[in-house]
Amino acid sequence: MGAIVDLVLGVVTSIGGFVEVGSISTAAQAGSEFGYQLIWAIAIATAMLAMLTEMSGRLAAVSRRTVAAAVRERFGIHFQLVPLTAELLIDTLLITAEIGGAAIAIKLLTDVGFEWWLLPLALLIWMLLWLSGFAVIEYGLGLLGLITLAFVISAWQLHPDVTDIGRSFLPTTPNHHYTRYAFLAVSIVGATISPYLLNFFSSGAIEEKLTESKLWVNTATAYLGMCFGGVVSMGVLVTSAMVLQPRHILVDSYEQAALMFVPVFGRYAIPLFAGALGIGCFGAAVELTVNTGYTFSQVFNWTWGANKPRRDCARFVTAFTLVLLMALAVALIGFDPLRLTMLSVALTVVIMPLVVLPFLVLMNDRKYVKEHTSGVIANGVLAMLTIVGGILAVVVIPLEMFGG
Amino acid sequence: MDLVRDLLDKRVVDRHGREMGRVDRLVLECGEHSAPRVVAFQIGPDALAGRVAPWFGRLVSGVERVFKVDEGRPVRIALADVLSIEDDVKVDVAFGETAAATIERALRRWVGSLPFSS
Repeated sequence: MGAIVDLVLGVVTSIGGFVEVGSISTAAQAGSEFGYQLIWAIAIATAMLAMLTEMSGRLAAVSRRTVAAAVRERFGIHFQLVPLTAELLIDTLLITAEIGGAAIAIKLLTDVGFEWWLLPLALLIWMLLWLSGFAVIEYGLGLLGLITLAFVISAWQLHPDVTDIGRSFLPTTPNHHYTRYAFLAVSIVGATISPYLLNFFSSGAIEEKLTESKLWVNTATAYLGMCFGGVVSMGVLVTSAMVLQPRHILVDSYEQAALMFVPVFGRYAIPLFAGALGIGCFGAAVELTVNTGYTFSQVFNWTWGANKPRRDCARFVTAFTLVLLMALAVALIGFDPLRLTMLSVALTVVIMPLVVLPFLVLMNDRKYVKEHTSGVIANGVLAMLTIVGGILAVVVIPLEMFGG
Repeated sequence: MDLVRDLLDKRVVDRHGREMGRVDRLVLECGEHSAPRVVAFQIGPDALAGRVAPWFGRLVSGVERVFKVDEGRPVRIALADVLSIEDDVKVDVAFGETAAATIERALRRWVGSLPFSS
């Protein structure tokens, strides 16, 4: 019975926690510019993310090591230094972008400039991390995040052509703006397969004391949670395609993206969009921040844990506090949240091969996963993802320059 | 034993199972007529940074000196103090009695002074 509760809670909160600043902005832009045509990118990226999160959980449950810890041990600091530094830099930028997204959500509700909400939001994130355990961080925010299902309801109410959507699961070439199309496809992949999620998921498995006997819960949570989460992302794209594209509204700010809810929700459109954006971004900012503490602590083997008294893991607390302060400093210097999001997403793609490659080795090393090694199909898909990731890493910067 | 695979970068825990850090650098002793042998390992950011690049190690040591947390660091654990090398490297010392705890102790004074820290 306990395992079923874990499963349901895990799946529901994965759905609620799936959509954040990156997925909303990339899916909204894709829908407004190319209709349903980029649904395939969300589908592929979601499937990849589900596979990687399942592996992260399996690695943690069997080896009692998170991804960051296992990579340090298996590959050494020389290998880890580049992706680790890049990941922490991207995480800092993403925290800034997520705080910005949440601040814009409050601006939509209050009409007070988003800059005024940056400091209170950062303080709220820190206080939440200071006062709560892992369950509140993961499940509490995930449950609140179910408000993002408004995107699915909106898409459903707009009665899209199901055949057209079905056809969009296969990649097709666009009629216009090839570079922009390619850039958005790559960005969707970068926004979906966010490296922090993998370490956060494996850290969660350790925090929640996931054991080998409950690996099926991990598998079901990863695949069901992520796939339903992907449906929410598709909801953003479909709503944007049906509402914004016919009116030639391009999403170059979150305020414009909010208009996508007007036909279905009428006068509740702005509060609902603000709620979905705000909670999605706030939840992601909290997870990103605590994950930086996890990463530092696991790489150096300091005492860590969101369920531990804070004075017993002072370096863990200090690490995430400093990263949050850096993110706040970037935010206060002045930035465009949407542009920063797209930059962070592009940088994520650059380091993707270095994030994916270790899984190919770790998930076949019996020292870490015992008899739970990956099968031929999973290895094949991972190898393909590493190669494709390598190609994307090379093309993403030119694409950002010419199509971003 | 494959030193790089089985010892370097492994987690180190004290005799009570408390996290102490990782095996950041190995200390080898070279005799005139004998093969080099491992006599100890070091734990600490300066040892780790020195492994990445010597200048980086000096920089981290300098930062530790500025913050006055450099005494006894990097921590040197003699191989004779190693209890077991399995999933983790278990050593016969107590974390709190070594300089590995210096930064944790210093930060705890600040963290512990805040409300709801325990």
